[in-house]
Amino acid sequence: MKRDVHFILNGKPVTFSVEPRTTLLRALREYGVTSVKRGCEEGECGTCTVVIDDLAQKSCMVLALEAEGKSVLTVEGLVGPKGELHPIQQAFVDEGAIQCGFCTPGMIMSAYAFLRKTPDPTEEEIRVALAGNLCRCTGYIPIFRAVHKAAAVMRELGHIPGRAR
Amino acid sequence: MKQTVTKNGIGAWTERKYDVEKAAGTLAFTDDLRFGPELLHARAVRSTVAHGEILSIDFSEALKVKGVVKVVTGKDFVHRFGLYLMDRTPMAIGKVRYMGEPVALVIAESEEAAEEGMLKVTAKYRELPPIFDPVKAATDNSVLVHPELETYDHVDFITPFPGTNIGNWFRIRRGDVDKAFSEAEYIVEEAVNCPQIAHGFLEPHCCICREDPATGDLTIWSTAQSAFALRDIVSKGLKYPLSKIRVIAPPIGGGFGGKAGMTVEALCLAGAMNPDVRGRPVKLYIPREEVLLTSWVRQAYVAKIKLGIDKDGKIIAIRNTFYFDTGISAEYGANPVRSAGYSSTGCYYIPNVWTDSYAVYTNKPFGGAYRGFGLPELMGAMEVVIDIAARKVGMDPIEFRLKNILKPGLPTCTGMPMNNHALDTIVGKVVDRIRLNEKEPATRKGWVRGKGFALALKAPAMPADAASSAIVKILGDGTVEVLAATMDMGQGAYTAYSQMVSEELGIPIEKIRCPYPDTQSHPYDWQTVASRSCWSMGMAVKRAASDARQKLLALYAEYWQVEPESITIEHGIVKCRKKGKAEPIDEHIQSGFPMPDGNYKGGPVIGTGSFVPPDVIYPDAETGQSPKSVVHFTVGAVGIDVEVDPATGAVEVNKVSAGYDVGKAISPVNVKGQIEGGTVQGISAGLMEGMYYDEHGKLLTPDFTDYKIATALDVPPDLDAFWEETPEELSPYGNRGVGEHSMISPAPAMDNALFDALGIRIHSYPLGRERVYKAIQAKKKGETDLWEYPYALEQSYKNAIKEWK
Repeated sequence: MKRDVHFILNGKPVTFSVEPRTTLLRALREYGVTSVKRGCEEGECGTCTVVIDDLAQKSCMVLALEAEGKSVLTVEGLVGPKGELHPIQQAFVDEGAIQCGFCTPGMIMSAYAFLRKTPDPTEEEIRVALAGNLCRCTGYIPIFRAVHKAAAVMRELGHIPGRAR
Repeated sequence: MKQTVTKNGIGAWTERKYDVEKAAGTLAFTDDLRFGPELLHARAVRSTVAHGEILSIDFSEALKVKGVVKVVTGKDFVHRFGLYLMDRTPMAIGKVRYMGEPVALVIAESEEAAEEGMLKVTAKYRELPPIFDPVKAATDNSVLVHPELETYDHVDFITPFPGTNIGNWFRIRRGDVDKAFSEAEYIVEEAVNCPQIAHGFLEPHCCICREDPATGDLTIWSTAQSAFALRDIVSKGLKYPLSKIRVIAPPIGGGFGGKAGMTVEALCLAGAMNPDVRGRPVKLYIPREEVLLTSWVRQAYVAKIKLGIDKDGKIIAIRNTFYFDTGISAEYGANPVRSAGYSSTGCYYIPNVWTDSYAVYTNKPFGGAYRGFGLPELMGAMEVVIDIAARKVGMDPIEFRLKNILKPGLPTCTGMPMNNHALDTIVGKVVDRIRLNEKEPATRKGWVRGKGFALALKAPAMPADAASSAIVKILGDGTVEVLAATMDMGQGAYTAYSQMVSEELGIPIEKIRCPYPDTQSHPYDWQTVASRSCWSMGMAVKRAASDARQKLLALYAEYWQVEPESITIEHGIVKCRKKGKAEPIDEHIQSGFPMPDGNYKGGPVIGTGSFVPPDVIYPDAETGQSPKSVVHFTVGAVGIDVEVDPATGAVEVNKVSAGYDVGKAISPVNVKGQIEGGTVQGISAGLMEGMYYDEHGKLLTPDFTDYKIATALDVPPDLDAFWEETPEELSPYGNRGVGEHSMISPAPAMDNALFDALGIRIHSYPLGRERVYKAIQAKKKGETDLWEYPYALEQSYKNAIKEWK
């Protein structure tokens, strides 16, 4: 039997009606938030990573009902009101950190949660932070470059741009 | 005089096409498309035995599940498919040949109902003895995977042997190898094996098919690398007119060969074309645990190489025996076997050649296209054997390689002259950059360090008549649409094409668009495979853009009453300095120009371009010889510096240097991306990847927990990717293929580095921690070689080699 779940999705309050067994991944995709990719639905690949209350989580490992009262951020939510990319998104574009783009949304969300806690990371810290997000195309090297660059831009700006949530 | 000026032409570092959408998460992949409540969902019921006759399939319980609409079985959809050899049915008919083969398809109103229905279908089998060992399958015909092989259609350049498990046998016979061996000072005879590996693309297969109930027209939306090849295979398999099949290929999340040809589409069609379903779209999404069973795998192989070397260190003869484990289908896998065969002297000139390259059927998931297409397999063995040979002859491995190198102009093993290349320069750079000649102490306490090297080479492996075509439309706002049916699956094809068009038209890259393939709007292209696109489609795009430019210049020349040669196009502005004219391209380009004589001329400016390689001739079936067997070879080299923990067998890569002669880097950001990404994929394959089965043929590695691929923690701290540019003669801008090459030789370079570190030769991939640990222990017992072949009781390398003589 379906139940309602209320949470903040990319800054806006939403109510989903879901089966108890429905994962947050499937519920978000059903709602139309398709940046959240299903790569394995087994918690192994990281393509469905979203940020729930500041923590990067694989949305295939979270039931939709568990989002009750929380704030869920997806990569669409990082885009500014005038369409401007977030510094992390822009750095991924600038550094050639994207090839097929299927891991990109999840990778960016992992980087986002990580950089909020670790604004001036070492290479080793970046590697550990992204170890749960697989990428088969780039060999990760440009992704490390992009995260470094984004960190520098964000430190320079002195705050996390985009809407407050 | 060059009449176009742009900042984003050939060789420019530019932003990649579609990266903004990808970063914003707004680019829709196949699984993201929406079809409304009419959409049905399909799920395959899979065989639970590796080889057996189907006695019964009972789906009565499945039909009772709420939402299940229909269950179809193999008998309802009897069609054979295949790119080169039509040996594949989308569902088993009468007999299953591997564990995981679809035996039925459940179609339901929701994915959940389809899954529930799938669990309720039961099939009974009479088990037949299976065969898993490719060497045994090739040499012992007591179990035949395809007793019906002689009835299957195939292309002329594939040679199946009915009555055996050989799906293709490619041969090279040149010179007199026996005589040369008898005259040789040194004989080196070695073998290498490697299990199947998986592509590991992150986007699982997904397909939606719909048949128009009124016209019978089929529409297929699919995660396909090659919209046109897919259409062609479906058309031939169904005996359905090409014109009634439309393939739409949305962006795909990685391919690496695993989405080439036709993969799961026919299975989806078995649902969508069923009379009880027809008219409603049917979606087949393949869950990750089924992806490894449903997609191609890179074929497992056992390669045996015998070299005859004279007293000066010249290789005078080679005898190759390659057994490729192609699983239950060689429909695509027949061709990497051929590709390895016609490159089977590697980067060396060897006068006397005897090669047998076999595609061998076994009761396992099927082999097919995989980045490198036969060459990681060939070089995985060849570059290890060359390293062994150099040491046996008493020469430095680099000196030995350079002495025998396939210099430009020398005949390859098929007899065609080698194209120009700068392999010696690349070798020099790699050797310097990893300080190959310096023995350096390990940086980790108690570890040992070693360095290894390997050469790489590959030609596009495709039919002689693999054609491409493109359309370049200049639109009324001065932007350009390029219709080129290459799939940009991350390699950056659309960025490269935009740079070509920008070069030819003088229009900035921001104003150039390449939509994703749709067979209804795009002109034909054979496939997005073989590292062929920037070359073959590049020819078509360049021709189409030049055609559009000529048309544009002719119209402006008449409009302004000047010579076309006096006109330039600079950053999208058409200029004639002589007349002081400078106008942005505007609506005249689509609606026509009011000419001085009072008439309108022109109308939409559309350039077209077609290309087919003009001079490729299939190798002779008996000798493998041909004046031009392939369009060109791209060569390169990899050097790796590794450290090993003798206590655990752990391997860490300190540095990799990898360089390739790309002819010309059209889009440097993408060339760099291909070399970096492919090198890491190659290291991943060499260090940790293998598909393993239990004794019943059940896949033990169907997910990313058990099938490990490189994570962010596995990337070397220092990866030096570089390229040289020796232009190719027949090429749009001198460029050659580069997409696959970086994947080819990291594994053998690693094997050679481990020998340098440990002093024992490992003959089996992958070079995982457990295997390296075993090698360290074997070395302590005085062994010189480690050989682990999953199907042989004989695990002594020396005995195993003897057994095959």
